[in-house]
Amino acid sequence: MSRIDRRACLKGLGVSLSLPLMDSLGWAGVPAGKADKPPVRLGFMYMPHGVIMDQFWPSSPESFLSSPPPALESLRPVLDQCVVMKGISGVPIAPFNGAPHALELSTWLTATLPAPEKRNEINIAISADQIAANHVGAFTALPSLELATMPQTWKENQEGLNEGYYSHCSFSSPTQAVPAEVNPRNVLNRLFNKQGGNTVASTPLSELDRGLLDIVLGGARDLRRTLPVSDQRKLDEYLDSVRSVERRIAAIEARQKEAALEKAGVRASNRRASDSPPIEIRIPEGEKRSEYMQVMCDLNILAFQTDMTRVSTYIGSTPNGASYPELGFNDQHHSNTHHNNDPEKVRKIALITEFNIRQFAYMVKKMASLREADGTLLDNCIMMWGSGLEDGNVHTRENLPFIIAGKGGGSIRTGRYFANTRGNQGDLLTTLLACAGVPNDRPVGIATKQIAELKAQA
Amino acid sequence: MSSLVPVAAAIRRLLKTPAGGLWLMLSLTCPFASQAGNHDALKADAAQYFRDRVTPFVKTYCLPCHRSERPTRAGVNFTPALKTPEHAAFTEQWKKADARVMAHDMPPKGAAQPSDDDRRMFAEWLPKLKYLSDKDPGPFVIRRLTKPEYANTLHDLFGVPTSVADGLPDEVAGQGYLNSLSPLQLEQYLAIAENVLRQVVAPPGHKRTDIEKRLFGPSARPTGDARRAAREIARSLARKAYRRPPTDAELDTLVATFDLGTRNKLPYQQALGLMLKGVLVSPQFLFITPAINPVGEAGPNTGIVPLDDYQLASRLSYFLWATMPDQELMTLAGRGELHLPAVLQAQTKRLLDDPRSRALFDGFGAQWLNVGGLQRQVFDPALFPQMTPALRQGMYDEVRLFFQSIVRDNEPAIRFVDSDYTYLNGTVAAIYGLENTVQGAEMRKVRLSDSQRGGVLGMPGILAATSLPNRTSPVKRGVWVLEQVLGEHVPAPPPDVPALDKQDPAAVAHLTLRQRTELHRTNPVCANCHRILDPIGFGLEKFDAIGRWRDRDTNGQAIDSSGELPGGKRFSGPADLKTILAQRNADVARNLVEKMLAYALGRKLEGYDEIVVDDLMADLAGGEGKNAGGGGKNEAYRMRDIINGVVTSYPFTYRRIEAQRSLHEQN
Repeated sequence: MSRIDRRACLKGLGVSLSLPLMDSLGWAGVPAGKADKPPVRLGFMYMPHGVIMDQFWPSSPESFLSSPPPALESLRPVLDQCVVMKGISGVPIAPFNGAPHALELSTWLTATLPAPEKRNEINIAISADQIAANHVGAFTALPSLELATMPQTWKENQEGLNEGYYSHCSFSSPTQAVPAEVNPRNVLNRLFNKQGGNTVASTPLSELDRGLLDIVLGGARDLRRTLPVSDQRKLDEYLDSVRSVERRIAAIEARQKEAALEKAGVRASNRRASDSPPIEIRIPEGEKRSEYMQVMCDLNILAFQTDMTRVSTYIGSTPNGASYPELGFNDQHHSNTHHNNDPEKVRKIALITEFNIRQFAYMVKKMASLREADGTLLDNCIMMWGSGLEDGNVHTRENLPFIIAGKGGGSIRTGRYFANTRGNQGDLLTTLLACAGVPNDRPVGIATKQIAELKAQA
Repeated sequence: MSSLVPVAAAIRRLLKTPAGGLWLMLSLTCPFASQAGNHDALKADAAQYFRDRVTPFVKTYCLPCHRSERPTRAGVNFTPALKTPEHAAFTEQWKKADARVMAHDMPPKGAAQPSDDDRRMFAEWLPKLKYLSDKDPGPFVIRRLTKPEYANTLHDLFGVPTSVADGLPDEVAGQGYLNSLSPLQLEQYLAIAENVLRQVVAPPGHKRTDIEKRLFGPSARPTGDARRAAREIARSLARKAYRRPPTDAELDTLVATFDLGTRNKLPYQQALGLMLKGVLVSPQFLFITPAINPVGEAGPNTGIVPLDDYQLASRLSYFLWATMPDQELMTLAGRGELHLPAVLQAQTKRLLDDPRSRALFDGFGAQWLNVGGLQRQVFDPALFPQMTPALRQGMYDEVRLFFQSIVRDNEPAIRFVDSDYTYLNGTVAAIYGLENTVQGAEMRKVRLSDSQRGGVLGMPGILAATSLPNRTSPVKRGVWVLEQVLGEHVPAPPPDVPALDKQDPAAVAHLTLRQRTELHRTNPVCANCHRILDPIGFGLEKFDAIGRWRDRDTNGQAIDSSGELPGGKRFSGPADLKTILAQRNADVARNLVEKMLAYALGRKLEGYDEIVVDDLMADLAGGEGKNAGGGGKNEAYRMRDIINGVVTSYPFTYRRIEAQRSLHEQN
């Protein structure tokens, strides 16, 4: 019975890790020495099963900042840098009515239904985060960062759907789900190019590895030619992965060269001396969910701050259900969502929602405290928190809960609540991509328009 | 598995027949007669039935809405299904159509309605569907090694501990398996390869390791031309790691990685190390691939061919051992003898007798019986402080040793449900209340005198796996019995289930779990399934959420574990339930055969596979086990016979080489 034993991974790692020569690094893809705007970063954070509506939605646009609803209380210090919109509807899920939880996650960033005739395979659409990664990922060591706190191996196939739909929201192509990393140590190693996930000694990916992969790639192409079409497609995933790792090694090497030049004073950094230094990462020793979720938040912040990536997706938990002993009860998230207005269950769901939003608030508040260029890191980010259902009790999707934090480099006007937005989740994702400067020739999923009121300039 | 037999179940469930329906009808399902001989006749009959009766029905009642157009209505389109009804892509569609038509959901109100006779005609079509399939072993689906397979293979190749692969993400193997490979994973493979190299290849100037000598030859320096020496080493490495002899092109690739090392001024041994790293990140190592025709060399491009012996060696070895073929299998494959039935059966026996065959439980058995997640499953520590890692491991080991004993002793499949022994250590014995008889950490075989126990229905591991963190779930247990033991498919509840306790919630709070669960049956939408599920779950209610026997629930109320199944079968607890299930010997065995075949093939069963299973069932029903080791008891469906049947079956030993363009892509 093999499994990831998170505790084993984390044990003895309660140490702060200092970071290699990142202080001087500027933004990739920007001519050095030019005082340029930092890039816009785009982050998504997910919670399953919806919210208790009367505790989530603000009572009015006017009172949004002065007396936010209970669920948003933890965001109060940065509410002026947030937007909440009511009226964003989800993709109608017929003919998958019997699988609301697979759909709430898999449609979340795709705004698209799985192909009904190929439901037992992954066949959906590229997700918004991966569209962004395709555009800006070439500049950074990681095209995008995918984080999760639960293994993505839930086995269930309601409505005959592939089980991958229960645990993935990022898709790099219609047929390829992007796995998320659950081990903070592995994330750190990836960000700073150390190999050997759970070993202490680690060696970086090297130019030699790139050469090796190049040769192996050639051999794999030969193999591919001998295979039938359906198997060729499977091998394509392998080939794509090899190419992607090759690109990543090249990007890392290029950045290391820049850093060396900057350090030697040969070229000036476009990062300002007044910018906050990279944050410290402290990998927790215990099993507390809040600490686990927060170290993943920290890694997300660090990755943005050091421009290791500009796109992140963080599945706070998957629909098969986390449990929250810290909140004083041990039953699983999902078992309380069908509360039928039982006050005790409603209380638990409200607590779970508040807990999740508090972790998001932890992340964006920290971003707001980090100086970057003329403002803060958060000023240059678009952080979206949300759930795939409105009301987990009855699986409604008419008003999906979303919180947007950050000004997106000036593209979003914040501090507002819209009580009557008209649009769907595809419209919202399309708008966010546009705000992040991602040229999008096609709307995301079911989108038909952009949501004008969100933008600083409509 | 959500296919074959469940079809019948799904339809019958939706047949709005009076009480009796499903349970009665299924228990009347007769054993499957062998149809191998008259397949052609059945096929002709099915084709005619489809042409003359089903096609006009679909054209009249379905096509008006569900035809090729954009967007399709509810994603259902009968235009292509009419052209090639037997294509696997449409199996699910036919099942659902039948179910909806029989439930009078379709055609919708207001549209022209077929007569009841016509509806019945349509339902009778479904069991005939399989006969339209041509005799077809299916393609050899290439697949990535699973995490345990990858770890075991590295262990066998280099003697490294399987923990080198711990960093890889866990995965769910078998059917519907998310067989993808991401950049993240490739990086992990690179990292693991590097890690292996560090353990295998000594740094320059250090004493060479034994494995290094075994892999790279006794001499630290090449004898003669270094490239030629490297090529020979590549040949022997690849033969092991790719599990077949490499082609010249593959050797060229590997020598190129050696050259890369040399160009980068690596010493000879380190350059060989780099080549080894190349082997370990190559698709030929990471995937189980079909035989390769050397590029440019002629080979069959399409059609049905026997698996070559190397492929068969891999398929057999990964099925039973979850690792690469050993020397003996490779030697037999090299001689071209492995596929001979006598050799194949002897090797199956050898592999099953080897301790490594525990992998069949870890890979297949644990997944089938749903105990793979036990270590991670959440239990309320306040209510169940006993659920320590040691108890969870003990529960898992009990199920494992029981499974292995059935394999070892060639017991009939029904033994899973009905047996008088189990395996316990002191920790698990406490759950049984046998802490005075069984003590210590070691698991051992224990005779059970309590007829409520014995068999998977009374095993704590299974009772816990089907519970919620704080209580039992009769529904989950009912679903588990139907799906995992009987192989029926239980559909998900409809999305907008009306609240069970529309009544005064305070009143509901005073009901027992049983009374609350029984509310399901006051709602006709729920009742359809729950009148079967819930009684089975109630029958197991005297086992608490971690499998302890109890007479009263947590509120002190007496537990009623009696019930009646549709069709009038009454029972008063687990022992009776076991007896009732034992009468469905053939259904239990068929479910096991189907699940095991799908696991062995690494794909979903479809089309012709159903006929393969029919034939296999007919063979297995024939009384005496062929190589019985279990005391000559005259019982059908013995475990080793089932495994032998799978291993020698047509889809296991043959493959279809797919034509260049599949139907899938034309759509």
